[in-house]
Amino acid sequence: MADNYTGPLERIDATRWRIPKSYKPGMRVDGVIYADDKLIDAIKGDKSPEQVANVACLPGIVKYSLAMPDIHWGYGFCIGGVAATDPQKGGVISPGGVGYDINCGVRLIRTNIKFADAKMQIGKLVEEMFNTVPCGVGRGGVVKFSKPELRKLMAEGSRFVVKRGFGWDSDIESTEAHGCISDADPDSLSDRALSRGSDQCGTLGSGNHFMEIQVVERIDDAKAAAAMGLVEGNLTVMIHSGSRGLGYQVCEDALKELQHTPRKYGIDLPDKQLVCAPVESPEGQSYLGAMRAAANFAWCNRQIMTHLAREAFSNVFGLPAERLGMTLVYDVAHNIAKMEPYDVDGKTCQLCVHRKGATRAFPPGHPELPERYRGIGQPVLVPGDMGRASYVLTGQPGSMEHTFGSSCHGAGRRMSRGAAIRASRGRSIKEELAKRGVIARARGRTGLEEEQPDAYKDVNQVVDVLHTAAISHRVARLRPVGVIKG
Amino acid sequence: MPAAEGLYAAFGELVAGGDGSILCFDFQGDDPSVMLRDFLTELLILFERDQRCLVAVVDAAFTESRLVVTVNTAPVDLERSAFHREVKAITYHELSIRTVPGGYEATFIVDI
Repeated sequence: MADNYTGPLERIDATRWRIPKSYKPGMRVDGVIYADDKLIDAIKGDKSPEQVANVACLPGIVKYSLAMPDIHWGYGFCIGGVAATDPQKGGVISPGGVGYDINCGVRLIRTNIKFADAKMQIGKLVEEMFNTVPCGVGRGGVVKFSKPELRKLMAEGSRFVVKRGFGWDSDIESTEAHGCISDADPDSLSDRALSRGSDQCGTLGSGNHFMEIQVVERIDDAKAAAAMGLVEGNLTVMIHSGSRGLGYQVCEDALKELQHTPRKYGIDLPDKQLVCAPVESPEGQSYLGAMRAAANFAWCNRQIMTHLAREAFSNVFGLPAERLGMTLVYDVAHNIAKMEPYDVDGKTCQLCVHRKGATRAFPPGHPELPERYRGIGQPVLVPGDMGRASYVLTGQPGSMEHTFGSSCHGAGRRMSRGAAIRASRGRSIKEELAKRGVIARARGRTGLEEEQPDAYKDVNQVVDVLHTAAISHRVARLRPVGVIKG
Repeated sequence: MPAAEGLYAAFGELVAGGDGSILCFDFQGDDPSVMLRDFLTELLILFERDQRCLVAVVDAAFTESRLVVTVNTAPVDLERSAFHREVKAITYHELSIRTVPGGYEATFIVDI
């Protein structure tokens, strides 16, 4: 499926590579990939740079088609891609620029618990979380919402479930967009989307979704870590999931509906997975309304899982989650399209920023940040792989200048799932992880094999690139000690 | 049937059990590969929402612009089946149907 990329890649500086717009007809802007010398070789190993060039053909794209260092091949858009379009200049919205798992994202919960004191409890914690948070194929949630309730949930976002006891008021402030994008249109969702989502809110799913118990291994920025409540040697919990079947169906419905839209608006596309519609068109607005509703569902999903994770900790330690200090550090989306203001040629323009496998990374002082993060910048959560590490970063001014307020979203795959399974033959990934001090529990038979550490790039390299490029700065490195997979 | 088996292999090892029921699907369009994709999407939803799977194709008729399939479906035996992963969708990427000796060969890529 994915051959090597053989097109041009011109070095701009130590962390950026250009695909010139002269590369292929139809490119309106250059492509820019963030990578160092080591990563760029791996990136050329699949067709994802070609996808960066294809995205550069979208009408209304501004400045450049971007890719973060965790770039890898995706459907239409690459994973790790960022593209901003200007609706005033015919800019489009493309469901492929968001992906099937709308508002797939990550949240991090800190604790007061010292790993040194809780070492012997990690196995019990993993088991308790595995049994408390529904995960894996066909596992329904602890709460089933009727269709009218679902519509209300998608209109209100996180607040809807917090009001019903699934979390704390402070969680809302610590969630991107306060867990609710306005102008969601839950009424535009198909019956099928609603039925796929009715019992999936508060479920982990499978694939690369996970819950992790981690220990803060190293602090790189003491001031930022203190603002986030991160203490070296203490446990954290990371949750990675998205909008489940409801979001997949919203994307599926949109791809079908928009099949003939490019022809209607005279848009020439190099790949039909890039189907799109002008942001201001009825079709574009319809998708945006449905996508925002699915995004709000995803925030509720992670919110309910947060509540369940707190319950699991509480059960194991015999103390309320408040006493364990389990506050939410932050929640960020990494598959989303949002209208955001940016300076373009000295003018402030509302752009439609597609982030597909890319995380928002607003710098210090940004008005959208909660008060406690205004001085340090937005927390950027970067899960690595289950054997090495994850990172907490903060958004920096460079992100507004160069990447439409975006940073990376993870390590990025370097092996297909099939290749990862083949590479695991004769090995026990569970035992290998145990030797590294990680207790893993998975519902699916191949989950650990497909997600083994070797299947991913080295997250340290990915994070280094963006730190060097002054897009996002390192705050803390988190080491996994317990992993729960679907 | 082989296309359905391909999809089910992505889920894991499904074992059917219980009473069968007949379902009929009728797709119209201008691209046979997209109609096949639509049929597989129905099977995906049938599995995810109703925990049922296809056990036999009773009848299938297709032209360049229409695909009508009648299938026998049965509940998935959740105890005896082994699940590997969820499937989010059947994508349009590299979707194709080719004529080969003795039948057709289809390529479809699922997002998991």
